[in-house]
Amino acid sequence: MSKGLILMAAACCMASALPAQQRADSLRTVNDDSSDFTFTESQLDEDNDASQAVSSITASKSDLFLSEVGYLFSPMRFRIRAYDNMYNQTFMNGLQLNDVETGRFSYGMIGGLNDATRNKEGVSGFEANNFGMTGIGGGQNISARASQFAQGNKITLSGCNRNYVARAMYTYASGLTEKGWAVATSLGYRWSNEGVIDGTFYNAFSYFLAVEKRLGDRHALSLATFGAPTERGQQAASTEEAYWLANSHYYNPNWGYQNGAKRNARVVKSFEPTAILTWDWNISETKKLVTSLGYKYGNYGSTALGWDGNAYDPRPDYYKNLPSSIFNVYDPEVNNPDFLAENPFLLDQYNYLYDYWTSNEANRQINWDRMYYVNRKNAETGGDALYYQERRHNDQQVFALNSTFNGALNRFNKYTLGIQLNRTKGMHYKTMEDLLGGNSYTDIDKFAAKDYGMESPEAQNDLNNPNRRIAEGDKFGYNYNIFVNKARLWGIWQLNRGAFGLNLGAHGEGTTIEREGLMRNGRAPENSFGKSGTASFLGGGGKLSLSWRPLANHRITLSGSWDSQAPLARNSFVAPRMQNNFVNDLTLEDILSTELAYAFRIGNLTGKLTGYYTRFMNQVEQTAFYNDQESRFTYLTMTGIDKEHYGVEAAFVWQATSKLSFQLIGTLSEAQYINNPLAQVNYEGMNAETVAELNVWKNPVTGKAMPLRVIADGIRVSGTPLTALSFGVNYNVNGWFFEANLNYYDRVYVGFSQYRRLSNIVPHYVAGSVDASTGNLVFDVTQAELEEKGGTLFDANGNLVDTETSSQEKFKGGFMLDASIGRFIRLKKGKSISINLSLQNITNNRNLRTGGYEQNRDDSYTSGEARPYVFSKNSKYYYANAFNFFLNAGFRF
Amino acid sequence: MKKIFSGIMLTLLAACPFTSCMDEWPVADTEDLLVTCPTDLGEVNFTIKEVKDEISRNVGTSTNGYFVVDKDLILEGVVCANDVSGNLYQTLLLRNIDTSLPEGDPGRDQCLVLAVKNTNLAPYFALGQRVRVNLKGLYIGVYSRVPKIGQPYKTSAGNWRLGPILFELCKSNVQLIGEPDPTAPELEPVDLTDDEGDSWLRASANRNIYNTPMLASVRGSIDEVQDGKKTVADKGSETSASCADVFGKEEPLPKIFGPYNLHDAGFGIDRTCSLVSNNSNVAVRTSTRNDISYTEILDGIHTYTGMLTYYSAWQIQLRDLGDIDYYDHTPEQPKGFVRNTTDTPWYPAHLTDPTEE
Repeated sequence: MSKGLILMAAACCMASALPAQQRADSLRTVNDDSSDFTFTESQLDEDNDASQAVSSITASKSDLFLSEVGYLFSPMRFRIRAYDNMYNQTFMNGLQLNDVETGRFSYGMIGGLNDATRNKEGVSGFEANNFGMTGIGGGQNISARASQFAQGNKITLSGCNRNYVARAMYTYASGLTEKGWAVATSLGYRWSNEGVIDGTFYNAFSYFLAVEKRLGDRHALSLATFGAPTERGQQAASTEEAYWLANSHYYNPNWGYQNGAKRNARVVKSFEPTAILTWDWNISETKKLVTSLGYKYGNYGSTALGWDGNAYDPRPDYYKNLPSSIFNVYDPEVNNPDFLAENPFLLDQYNYLYDYWTSNEANRQINWDRMYYVNRKNAETGGDALYYQERRHNDQQVFALNSTFNGALNRFNKYTLGIQLNRTKGMHYKTMEDLLGGNSYTDIDKFAAKDYGMESPEAQNDLNNPNRRIAEGDKFGYNYNIFVNKARLWGIWQLNRGAFGLNLGAHGEGTTIEREGLMRNGRAPENSFGKSGTASFLGGGGKLSLSWRPLANHRITLSGSWDSQAPLARNSFVAPRMQNNFVNDLTLEDILSTELAYAFRIGNLTGKLTGYYTRFMNQVEQTAFYNDQESRFTYLTMTGIDKEHYGVEAAFVWQATSKLSFQLIGTLSEAQYINNPLAQVNYEGMNAETVAELNVWKNPVTGKAMPLRVIADGIRVSGTPLTALSFGVNYNVNGWFFEANLNYYDRVYVGFSQYRRLSNIVPHYVAGSVDASTGNLVFDVTQAELEEKGGTLFDANGNLVDTETSSQEKFKGGFMLDASIGRFIRLKKGKSISINLSLQNITNNRNLRTGGYEQNRDDSYTSGEARPYVFSKNSKYYYANAFNFFLNAGFRF
Repeated sequence: MKKIFSGIMLTLLAACPFTSCMDEWPVADTEDLLVTCPTDLGEVNFTIKEVKDEISRNVGTSTNGYFVVDKDLILEGVVCANDVSGNLYQTLLLRNIDTSLPEGDPGRDQCLVLAVKNTNLAPYFALGQRVRVNLKGLYIGVYSRVPKIGQPYKTSAGNWRLGPILFELCKSNVQLIGEPDPTAPELEPVDLTDDEGDSWLRASANRNIYNTPMLASVRGSIDEVQDGKKTVADKGSETSASCADVFGKEEPLPKIFGPYNLHDAGFGIDRTCSLVSNNSNVAVRTSTRNDISYTEILDGIHTYTGMLTYYSAWQIQLRDLGDIDYYDHTPEQPKGFVRNTTDTPWYPAHLTDPTEE
């Protein structure tokens, strides 16, 4: 016990000694103690640098499909049913841990705590549970009570060639002492000087401490505190051309040499220390009350380069640096031998840039020295830094309370009632990380200064402190808080009688959202400083699941749910960095979800077949990006989004012998936008009047203003394979475990640019005549052109008759072969050793794209003339990791 | 055993604070940074005048034209205008004064544009910096009648024109000679501020490539308000394109260099500067998006210095706000300007006091 107390004290000291670091990577923990012998972290992409976070993983043991796919398909960032991860909830001791601003759970907050978070229960979206009302993506509840840890010590050492190369974890659990105390602690460290991707690094500590005290037979108090201060260099997506020039699909444009060492421009520091106090009250044999009170103070900061409007874009893969910026390589009228012979300067310049890129690695990376040099030269004349590195902070302070009452009326009827309260203060600001050799920086918006003048009020980021001089560490640019309050009441009733079962759940939820501006922005002087006022939403919903067992080992389940929920706070403001205005038409989002499942066991064959249909209505989505077209930071918010997700899932396991089994798992799904949502664009460097002019879609016939829309009907949800199949074999004998899986992925779509599909940007066509034979309107565009470039079609009276979204790239499918081998050795006195080697992508398939996104810039100048560089054919991509391994050794004593 | 491991873990705990930040960097050493050729390009064997001779032979009087240089032709010039404010875009103005030639000799004082594909050339090519350029592999010609060293590109209007050279080509074709010399005679603008200068500008014989571009000063006043004369604002027609934006607005009307409605397809604005003689005009051309664009134009006659070129008329492009001399012409403090005493000139507040240099 004394050792445990020492460790507890040490962990607390550590928490305070590491104040500056935190969330992001996505570490999945596994659901059983033999996880050392399964694909554990080996299949988990811990890097959520991609536009999509990893799969929403449900550790449901009762669902053959869900229990496997989470980690099986994780190398491809598979998301179950293509749902956003916000529809999957993670609880700890009954306390919901999802971030209410983003909706998502950050696996980074428990990174490196695999052993400490091993005890958990997972459920699918329609399964009943005793810890909370989960969303359509299901949920999981981690038990962090010290008494539930297996007594003893465990050391785990790992080596791999992934984001980090080494990991060490130590876990100690005292077990429950005679005096009713229990202590469990875990420490971990993950490190790489350079990860498998060039220029990345990893430096993450993690700690966990749980103390439990039993008070009599019915009460227990548990305190759990944990955190994972993390620092890591990020990878960025790039274009296929850049990958080609670098001769690698793992080219990373985020780094460059500084004094001979690789310096990454985008470094995440995260630390989300969390404490949860839990009171378990076993009221009676059939009644139990679990109440958890939680507090989190999260620090998340990610660096990025910033530059003055006059400075040359420092990104190495900036399109003007690429050979294809010289001439349109996709235009056969230009890219042909005759034309190029007549204009030799084109190939000369193209080849020069090609040689420049390929001759020296440093040429295709960030040139830190030039930024320093430019800043120093500018400083000599009293000028501001033209280049700098900023840190964008998304900190959070969270108070949460969950209380859950479980009871049973009789052996057939069980019920659960709960209340959830959450108050979150999100603190968003940026600080000057590094002036890169410059002496000073003035807090004005350099792009607004170009539009309105250096002396204009619009140029000021904070009119309350105009022309403020910024030093390293100072806040600048934007500074605001977002307050979110949530209260939820919920209940579940379970009835199981004979061949029939019923789960009925309902909940009501209130949400308030408010912004507090801490700067008076010059582009929005009247509505940026102070409180925005509160937007309130009253939502709710219910779910019903009916099951029938016509025969033993055969079960048919029909489920349905309806949910109305508040939009996410992060999507609710038109330009949250700048002003208080809420998005227009902000309303509750509705979700209808249905599912029909058949689960069976026939002899040694176990299986489950599921068909599902989910419809999202009135969704709100916001993208924020640096707009190359307009040279300014841009927000684009879509409201009134309708989407459909449907498909089939199947999982079969054939236990051939007691030692050998085969499994076949797969899903064929569809997930797409089914309407053209309303759009609201806001440029950060423009005042309200100018922005209003840009948010206009004029009818090409009548000239009347129409609501601006994104022509998105038919666009697929991106960043996850909509087709995923796996054939696997498992063999275990005498403590040895073998597993191999051949996986096939297809129908991964690129993330679409809403900006390029704005109704006032896509081409429009007005019917010139009516086809006499068919009565159809005739437009001056072919169907093929329309499908490629998109467009809006009007009749001669200006009535919108049809829309077509521009084509969305579908990536090529492919196979990936994974395998693992492990050995479990039981020693005397309860000691054991486990060793596991996981091999991923054994065939070294380096061409599987996991995701990507289109660039937010169109292919023409404002004059209508085509640009030499074709943005629509130069999306940025992420690729699945090449062959990699994960060697894990654990010693329990 | 457990004691041992507990001890190990405590040691690890104690060591962890020392493992913290990996993202800490000493400042970069840029002492030897060069974006230009680190070795000697060779002896100078060509002049700017000879470049213009070649252009004249190959392009004639065309507005636009270019051709590649296939020989080691090496010339020198001093940077007398750059993109320090962003008003000159991807442009270095090279000037060479050959004092061995007599006054009046056309080869004595010549300027040429070296266009480089980068928006931030000033730190690398300071005013007064002598540079040597090997033209081999580069193109020379005219862009809107302005002689230039560059490489062809396709404009946003879809035309092939002589544009900037790739920035990386500076490494092979451009050499810095010595340190920037702020006292270099090439930095002294040609004075066209008096009647004699006015006459020179009016003389059609001077409108040729040997006199364009050049670093020069002109003196005059800009009366336009938005796109009309300020006196017609209250008389303008709501439907008149020339006056619609000022119709009904009261004096004093804003008079800045870059009113939005004067932006042209070349991302520039032309304001008419009526010279002191009132017989000639020079267009003061400004980029649409830089500090100069939003600078208030004060009433009165001022001196404007910059890159003077001729297309269908003379136009001048300022290098930065310091090229506007308000001295003796501004009874009131212009917005955004300060001065130390009533005897010293106004200067933009964000710049260093020129009198301290």
